[in-house]
Amino acid sequence: MRKIFNIVIFGLLITSMWSCSEDVLDDINRNRNNPTNVNSNLIITDAMITSGFTITGSDLAFYTSVYMEHNVGIWNQSYNAEIRVGEPSSATTFNNSWNAIYNNMYNLKTIIDKCSDGGSEEGNYHTLAIAQTLLAHNLATLTDLMGDVPWSEALQPGIVYTPKLDNQEDIYNEVHRLLDDALANFDKTTKFPSLGNQDFIYKGNIANWKKFANGLKARYMMRTSFINEDFDGVISFANKAFASASEQAQLTYNGTTMISPFYKFFTDRNYFGASQSLYNKLDERNDPRIDVLWKPAAGTSEVEIAPNGNPVQVQGRYGVSAISVPTAPTYLLSYHEIEFLKAEAYVRKGDLGSAEASLRKAVTAALSKSNIGLASKAAEYLDNEVLPRFNSNPLAEVMNQKYLAFYEEEAIEAYCDYRRLLAMNDDVIKLDNPKNAAGEFPHRLTYGNSDVTTNINVRNAYGDGRYVYTEKVWWAGGSR
Amino acid sequence: MKQVLFILLVLMSSMSMAVGQRIVSGVVTDNSGETLIGASVVVKEFPAIGTITDIDGRYSLRVPEGGETLVFSYTGHTTQEIAINGQSSVNISLSAGQVLNEVVVTAFGISRESKSLGYAVQGLSDEEIKLTGNKDLLGAMQGKLAGVDIKPSSGMPGASSQFVIRGARSFTGNNSPLFVVDGLPISSTSTFSTGNSVTGADIGGRSLDIDPADIESIDILKGQAASALYGVRASNGVVLITTKSGKGLGVGKPIISFTHNSTFDQVSRNPNFQTTYAQGSYGAYNPNASTSWGPKISDLPNDPTYGGNTDNAFTAQYGRQEGKFYVPQLAQGGLDPWRTPEVFNNWTDYFQTGYTNQNNLNVSQATQNGNYSIGFGITDQSGIALGTGMTRYNAKAAGERKLNNHFSVGYSANFSKSNIDKLSGANDGSLTGVLAAPSSYDLKGTPNHIPGDPYRQIYFRGGSFDNSYWVPNNNKFNEQTDRFFGNAFVNYGTDLNDDMKLNIRYQAGTDNFTTHLQDIFGFGSRGNSKGVISNYGLSRATFNSLASANLDWNINSDWQLGVMLGNELNNTSDKIYEQNGTDFNFGGWNHIGNANIQTADESQSFSRNVGFFGNAGLSWKSMIFLNVTGRNDYVSSMPRGNRSFFYPSVGLSFVLTELPALQNVDWLSYAKVRGSYAEVGQAGTYLENYYLTPTYVGGFWLSPPVQYPVGGVNSYIPNSVQYDPNLKPQNTVSNEFGAELKFFNNRLGLDYTYSKQDVTDQIFAVPLAGSTGATSLVRNGGAINTVAHEIMAFATPVMNKNFRWDIGVNYTKVENNVIELADGVESIFLGGFVTPQVRAGVGNTFPVIYGSSFARNQNGEILVVDNPGAWNHGMPMVGAPQVIGEVSPKFILGGTNTFSYKNLSLTSVIEWKNGGHMYSGSNGLLDLYGMSAVTEDRESTFIYPGVKPDGTPNDIVRGGSEDPDALQDLYANVLTTIDEYFIHENSFVKLRELSLGYKFAKPVYKGLNIGVSLYARNLLLWSALRNMDPESSQGNTNMGGSFERFSLPQTTSYGFGVNLTF
Repeated sequence: MRKIFNIVIFGLLITSMWSCSEDVLDDINRNRNNPTNVNSNLIITDAMITSGFTITGSDLAFYTSVYMEHNVGIWNQSYNAEIRVGEPSSATTFNNSWNAIYNNMYNLKTIIDKCSDGGSEEGNYHTLAIAQTLLAHNLATLTDLMGDVPWSEALQPGIVYTPKLDNQEDIYNEVHRLLDDALANFDKTTKFPSLGNQDFIYKGNIANWKKFANGLKARYMMRTSFINEDFDGVISFANKAFASASEQAQLTYNGTTMISPFYKFFTDRNYFGASQSLYNKLDERNDPRIDVLWKPAAGTSEVEIAPNGNPVQVQGRYGVSAISVPTAPTYLLSYHEIEFLKAEAYVRKGDLGSAEASLRKAVTAALSKSNIGLASKAAEYLDNEVLPRFNSNPLAEVMNQKYLAFYEEEAIEAYCDYRRLLAMNDDVIKLDNPKNAAGEFPHRLTYGNSDVTTNINVRNAYGDGRYVYTEKVWWAGGSR
Repeated sequence: MKQVLFILLVLMSSMSMAVGQRIVSGVVTDNSGETLIGASVVVKEFPAIGTITDIDGRYSLRVPEGGETLVFSYTGHTTQEIAINGQSSVNISLSAGQVLNEVVVTAFGISRESKSLGYAVQGLSDEEIKLTGNKDLLGAMQGKLAGVDIKPSSGMPGASSQFVIRGARSFTGNNSPLFVVDGLPISSTSTFSTGNSVTGADIGGRSLDIDPADIESIDILKGQAASALYGVRASNGVVLITTKSGKGLGVGKPIISFTHNSTFDQVSRNPNFQTTYAQGSYGAYNPNASTSWGPKISDLPNDPTYGGNTDNAFTAQYGRQEGKFYVPQLAQGGLDPWRTPEVFNNWTDYFQTGYTNQNNLNVSQATQNGNYSIGFGITDQSGIALGTGMTRYNAKAAGERKLNNHFSVGYSANFSKSNIDKLSGANDGSLTGVLAAPSSYDLKGTPNHIPGDPYRQIYFRGGSFDNSYWVPNNNKFNEQTDRFFGNAFVNYGTDLNDDMKLNIRYQAGTDNFTTHLQDIFGFGSRGNSKGVISNYGLSRATFNSLASANLDWNINSDWQLGVMLGNELNNTSDKIYEQNGTDFNFGGWNHIGNANIQTADESQSFSRNVGFFGNAGLSWKSMIFLNVTGRNDYVSSMPRGNRSFFYPSVGLSFVLTELPALQNVDWLSYAKVRGSYAEVGQAGTYLENYYLTPTYVGGFWLSPPVQYPVGGVNSYIPNSVQYDPNLKPQNTVSNEFGAELKFFNNRLGLDYTYSKQDVTDQIFAVPLAGSTGATSLVRNGGAINTVAHEIMAFATPVMNKNFRWDIGVNYTKVENNVIELADGVESIFLGGFVTPQVRAGVGNTFPVIYGSSFARNQNGEILVVDNPGAWNHGMPMVGAPQVIGEVSPKFILGGTNTFSYKNLSLTSVIEWKNGGHMYSGSNGLLDLYGMSAVTEDRESTFIYPGVKPDGTPNDIVRGGSEDPDALQDLYANVLTTIDEYFIHENSFVKLRELSLGYKFAKPVYKGLNIGVSLYARNLLLWSALRNMDPESSQGNTNMGGSFERFSLPQTTSYGFGVNLTF
């Protein structure tokens, strides 16, 4: 009897001990659903889509579009942004974007680590250079909108919990360093295969990527013109950038599994109405775009234009964008922007002839955008409307044309230009929202709530969020 | 495990069958001579052998050889032990009002005398559970337990509930107790989380699979000391459920019991609407506005655009229509568009009376060698909202058979099948229109779609929500579950010597279910989208093996020792599938095959828990009891090296009334003090950091704007949730002290428990600053501290031969404070929006509601804008986001009151929840829409209560006929941007249950006994929250009960039950 019990107990123990050995438990807990390592070519695809769709194309553009009066916020969050209540100073407004940018930069850093010396894909120079270019773009977008942000201590999850803020000036140096590194790496030869279809922007065309990196150099040199004028540098890099719209850095959408953000924002939210101040600018120029930019709200027959700053909060009344279509591309850097950069640089250098030539190319490209389709009217418009204005005030017309060309996918760039022009005392773009005169023009976007709540450094910088109405970023003449 | 089974089988067959029995019978009466029906008679030496007395107080019991003593017990009476001494007839009179040796079920089903326990347990009888025929087990326990908070999410069929004992221990993880049915741990919580809980439909909990009609009793092990033997799964307490088995019945023919319940449900609370003003904005009628800030309904015929009395495009077409106005939706629906102004209550128009039909059949029998019970149940419910309902089938069988003197075998098997049709809430609110449609709009009477085109909706407002009447035919939120759980055991018992008994038991069990969910927004949903479908589900198979050995040793007349050793293995495999489709080609076939974009995913995961445990109990003179337990668990879901943990507990109980000095105190029947210490942990889930395909969800997107693979190309990025390889289990240290006092022959009793839990090293996905590049890190961090006071009290103020009045009171006060979170973390998101959201925050009770506040001055007074001429002059301002509400109540008081007169009894259960806050999105939005009664007066001026920036009281007069836009601006543009405005205290008092029952004293026909009852649930409600029942909310997670937004309403139920036994 006792023997049998002993056998039972012993048997139980043996089975139980075996059933909980570390190796057995390791195997039980093995992740069968996800890979623990993937190659950089499969990571970088989403880094491109996120850079385009999420960072350049979505929330940041939706809000800056309201600030820039490309659109009038007529409902809910966009309405609050329009009337400057809540959203512009709330840390939650841009939390998703903030997290998305850092998350994307972490992915890019992962790629850079893999492709750098000592990494698992050492010598994958082209993927490395693309990642550096995108990282420069992401980082610059972040600091342009939010000023001093965590960078040198950022992107170390589980190691640094509260990254400190770096000066925008230092971050700008980093942006240029990344672009310089990228330009050097594009020129190296690599044995690694081309990204091909994993590259949603250029299908692996490295020559175009290099143009994109040069174009970004031009953009970010121009950005700091209030601090340090280098218009020759801008022109020099811009000349190495795109020569036509076919080379521009854009994310295209198939309209089904990948849908243009402004179109999706319209179908999912319908928060925008046609802007009075934008309408006025087109109207006074007899701009042909006035007939193609808007359509009546569903169920109405006329395009009603929404007043800036005090529309009625109602959906289905004001006219809506007609160029928000499922396949409207998002421009990380457009060809027309390159020409506008040159035009402005030439104007500032006093070379009006070259400026005019660039302006013509820029406006023609802007009117030729796939969702505008007014290429045939460009020459007439330039001759009759644009050039007379250019002749009377070259800078104002270049910048206003750039502002009009940026409707509606490039609101972030329009917002950066506007703030730079204010700093440079070139207040040439007229905005009508009465809140601006009342000291409620947001000079920046708020930090993300995830840092405001968990990172004391960012929380101190955020305060109560009202700083957005008073503190300008460094390149716009501010201190942080 | 196979070897073990084999050895046990060999063991069994090698034993000889022992025989030798005699029959003992007799009558049990109380001391007034009345016979006691249903008194328990058990052979002390063979606790499995027993019976209960019949209608005449008689019993008959086959006592095996070695059975020397009978134990007689009856609720509310002294338990007595009588030596048989060879007699064949033993009659006994039990004296009333003494319950010294009450037996309770403890961990692993071990029955112990309640006086020996160093911790609090609480039991519920089947009668208490079935009082009002509630088909939902958790709902049936509300108000009847101390130390427990049960929060239902809504009155929708199959709605989830939160069941938390003594506060929360985990921020984002599970706080529900372990459910153990007939010795087998089973899944009881929701299989899918509702996530942020602001979209989609509620997802029910798996406790739904248990039919309350099958239950014989429930014992709640509240503290960690009580549950420590269960190890890592039991830090939240244990709910031990014993189903009907026929065990308590007298040996005889089968007893057949049939129960029918019919229950009728109505909306528990109706909002107060304004009934004066029409759809529109700033006084102007707009037939497409979501708001009701239009003109007076009676003035609609004079509207310049739509009025029949004015010249406009419509009267130009149709001619003047005196006294009428033009309704474009009626024109769209092909009806006469001209309507005379009328006031509609779209809320009451919509809801129907829900009906639940429950039928249960049970056959039970006890024979000389064992017992069995077989039950069938059908529950068929139609909800108060169109298209909602639940059907549930239950079947169960349980039995036990004694094979010989040493061996007995038994089993318990349960099957359930359920099908639930639900509705979606919050941002997907199915009933948004029902709640907020303008009083001027006839929602029910206006077609919900274009004639001939069922997929183009007609609605009073824009496309964010679907027409509530269109929903039942086009959207679908369905859950279907098939489940089997059960176990079988073999038990070997022997006397090692006269004073030493050994019991060895092996049990193998399984809990298997497959649940299929379907979420469909049909073709034409929301602004003519082409629809979204999501099919997903889980198959779970759990195997549980449990071996235990018990030794009971009467060392001498003073000392007794009980020792148990055991081993448990729990192995779970999960497979989750998911199919998502968008963009249907055409309407009417809402199927994945009709979707142009299809994505799929699957997940397989496994986990194993192995535990070794032991328990030793030592008692001295039935006065002092010491109990020590230990368990070591090995858990697969933790990182290598951190998988083994040990959990000890110790409990001491001292029965003061056993002291000679107190034994003859008349007024004191019983006094005991107890204390215990325990540690129990909770394991987390650790995975090696991995890559995944990103999804584009949330934010502004109602459906993913980017869906991989895009054009055949996929991408994988580092998971933004990362894992700490040094993860260790979280630990709960619990101290508990209590006293139990009974007075005046047990007519009055008080049981108080103080407990303190310190939970450290909580495991959760610690939110990281976005600038770290990741969203969160699964790691240890944070401490929560809970102090709970519980009082269970009872009194029997009146008791005579025919009339009896019993009162039971349960008081719960739980202070649950978040002491710390991981470094740099101040809060953890539990659900809701960016703001408002439900979160855990350091220094606050758990959880809190966070959102934008009213801007206030240093004295805490609400600041108003002082800017003459500004649209918001005199109105409050948005302040910083902060904690704007604490969810935990100050206390919960439940009371049960029973009057019994002969065979008639009237029972009520009242619950008072005091304090705590909730976010009521519906209330705030009713104000925004201008539909709540508070917006009715639009002609008077108002001064918003507050102070001006200079500190002087606000005296800015706004509104009135000179300033007509101000009131709409206040509600629609100012207050709705301040989340704090949506926060309400959610104190309430509810008459949860009221039941009038009658049992015929004697069989009405031959052996047929009948009992009938009339009952109501959630009958009376007083609530601090306006317009809504506070027990309607969003989410099946730890945010439950605190966040409401177009949530489905709660119900009041009326019903009757009939029970036939023969």
